[in-house]
Amino acid sequence: MDQHAPGQIDLDVVREMVSHITYSDHQEAQELILHALQEINEHFGWVSLEAAEIVAEHLGTTANRVYGLLTFYADFRTEPRGRHFMLVCHGMACYVGGSTALVDDLAERYGVGDGDTTADGALTVQVVDGCLGVCDRAPIVKLDDAYHGQLTPEKLNDVLQRAIAARQGEERVHGIDPHIAHVS
Amino acid sequence: MASIPTSPTSPESPGARSARQPLRKATSRAEFEAIQREATESWRNLWGGDRMVVSVGIDSSSIAKGAVEVYNACRRELAGSGSTVRQTSGNGAMWIEPWVEIQRPGQPPIVYANIEPDDVPDLLAGRLEDRAFGVRGDEPFNGVPPLDAHPFFKHQRRILLRNHGVIDPDSIEEAIANGAYSAYLKVLFDLSGEETVAEVAASNVRGRGGAGFPAGIKWESGRKAKARPKFVVCNSHEGEPNVYKDRRLHEGDPHRILEGILIACVAVGAERGYNYVGGEYPLAIARFRKAVQDAERLGLIGKNVLGSGKDVAFRLRTGGGAYICGEGSALMYSIMGVRGQPRTKPPRSVEEGLWKRPTVANNTETLANVPDIVSNGGAWYAGIGTEKSTGTKLVTVMGPVKTMGLVEVEMGISLRTIIDEVWGGMADGYTFKGIQTGGVSAGPLKAEQLDVPLDFDSMTPFGGMLGSGGFVIFDESVDAVDFARYMTAFNRYESCSKCVPCRLGNPALVEILDRIRLGRGTRADLPLIERTSKHIIELSLCGLGQVAPAPLLGLLHTYPEDFESKLVDAPPVLPLREVLPLAGD
Ligand SMILES: Cc1cc2nc3c(=O)[nH]c(=O)nc-3n(C[C@H](O)[C@H](O)[C@H](O)COP(=O)(O)O)c2cc1C
Ligand code: SF4
Ligand code: FES
Repeated sequence: MDQHAPGQIDLDVVREMVSHITYSDHQEAQELILHALQEINEHFGWVSLEAAEIVAEHLGTTANRVYGLLTFYADFRTEPRGRHFMLVCHGMACYVGGSTALVDDLAERYGVGDGDTTADGALTVQVVDGCLGVCDRAPIVKLDDAYHGQLTPEKLNDVLQRAIAARQGEERVHGIDPHIAHVS
Repeated sequence: MASIPTSPTSPESPGARSARQPLRKATSRAEFEAIQREATESWRNLWGGDRMVVSVGIDSSSIAKGAVEVYNACRRELAGSGSTVRQTSGNGAMWIEPWVEIQRPGQPPIVYANIEPDDVPDLLAGRLEDRAFGVRGDEPFNGVPPLDAHPFFKHQRRILLRNHGVIDPDSIEEAIANGAYSAYLKVLFDLSGEETVAEVAASNVRGRGGAGFPAGIKWESGRKAKARPKFVVCNSHEGEPNVYKDRRLHEGDPHRILEGILIACVAVGAERGYNYVGGEYPLAIARFRKAVQDAERLGLIGKNVLGSGKDVAFRLRTGGGAYICGEGSALMYSIMGVRGQPRTKPPRSVEEGLWKRPTVANNTETLANVPDIVSNGGAWYAGIGTEKSTGTKLVTVMGPVKTMGLVEVEMGISLRTIIDEVWGGMADGYTFKGIQTGGVSAGPLKAEQLDVPLDFDSMTPFGGMLGSGGFVIFDESVDAVDFARYMTAFNRYESCSKCVPCRLGNPALVEILDRIRLGRGTRADLPLIERTSKHIIELSLCGLGQVAPAPLLGLLHTYPEDFESKLVDAPPVLPLREVLPLAGD
């Protein structure tokens, strides 16, 4: 995700993004609604109603339909992300490895559950029902661009405290090129 | 920030190599065969030179452990030396990641395990020989055994995974040098659609997406369907919480999947093929997208492919993180840009699928088998595995085992062999309690049931299921009630809410389980579980609801003591606040 001011979506950027999405007929246009939303969601971390309207207009459909998709598919957010974004894997390897304790601890210590942002806007948490694909290091989280594995609630708290205290962009153990991490 | 060699736009990608030697479009069979010869020769030259060849296994699992940094360190260290530093994909053995393979002049390629970026100078200078894990080849070298001698590889029969950890998944030339698109060529020029479908039918390959329906029968219905246009859809959604095989296929050998889809299109006479990939798998998508672009550039997709007179169009679509979109009809709705909610059947998709047209939908792994079936014949494939479950199966494991990873085994191998040998048995300090089969759609097996062969039918009498081949091993610390609650809560969350039994039944089951977990469940709750489950199973509209209670029932029947020990005669009276629902779902 680009480091935009949280809470804002630059609609000119959205217009520029959708202008690259071309189609030959109305069927193809409909097939591209999800794609357009994914691009926007990847770029800004969420999709606002105004952005959804731009997508609807570009692809010849209604904002209702577009918003209906935004609220159905788990990957989309309709509210801004906090300064840090963490995926908590709750796939079966991570469950067997103790991810429930992580989820419970986040609720207790930070007051956040799936999809929530801390009151100070520092952290957004998303609990992933699937598998992040690094099961041999379960339980695992992906905080911004870095993975952290074999976690206990204490270790996760340390990781979070370090990230929140550090300036953004530092503290990356294993960085991934954003191009790869965010191809949609 | 690290730059990764996988993006098509990255200057370090094999795209850079093809920039030297741009992909040229082939317009005839002969032109494509010339490309095949060149690719084979470059592949031979790569390994036959007098410089070091360093390959780093890069996939979504090893990236999380720093494989990109290792790759970059190798490049820095060897800059200007004339040596080749290249990426390949993972080879399934997750516990040795990040790994680096080095071929020194005159020596076979040797894989070194668990390499950190700081290790690279010592590794390349030959000072880390104790990390040598195996030789990629048949003979040991300098005391290092062949990779295939390791129990993890020894029991495997790698057809789909043959190129994993060997070729650069971003390079269509390397794929072609290793056989990609030769079956497609056969289907374009030598076989009729009917003959191709007959080979798939003769192979008796059954669908790998869970249900095990014979692909040949589906293809034949698709081929005979009259309405136009027709479509082929590859189901690469893989939203189950217990499996990671299809995304690894994309990350390791994307051309194999694409070739399978293109063959299906030609065989059944479909105008367009689709691949629908889970949106959570960016690397799988990036590599597959690159594969499609390269295949287009080579002229393998488009009008009048290689002068054969056949047109094949292709589109890649990505999902949005809803498990239900793996269900066939929901997936098609998702492609059409609406909410992915299943519909009643009939009509089946092959009669009325995408855009209400005949659609042949298969799982990724099913389609990835097709190139080899066409190349070697259906009879060859039918000779692998067992009579009713032919071929190989990709299986993944999760849980505390020693050597975790993705493997490809022949159908019919015993579960015990896979667990004890391939996956190395339980990790130190963990005691085996059971193995969950069939993802969130079946029940567990206990230690004494592990001699059951791995195939589509043998686990069913025990309440298990092959499903998509994702197994979860759990140890004594996992409580059956808790595990049942986890899987039931998954189904509750992922229910699309279209029909009442699933939408209201699953939350009811979770509530009962919470009651039991919190020491407020009574004897009456067990028959209540059975009755509620029966309603959900019998009355739900789609496969999600119809099997949603299966893990719970399986765990209840296998570990009744875990449930019974928590039951009380009369629930204690608690202040209201303490009986309110828990967080964590
Ligand atoms: C809830 C649900 C989720 C499913 N998820 C997948 C999936 O992720 N991938 C898949 O190939 N099939 C999935 N299936 C099975 C498909 O409906 C379908 O049977 C399969 O894709 C057909 O391909 P095959 O015959 O090659 O197995 C799912 C079914 C249900 C009911
Ligand atoms: S069974 Fe569940 S997932 Fe399937 S249609 Fe009904 S509500 Fe949706
Ligand atoms: S289940 Fe969490 S990484 Fe696979």
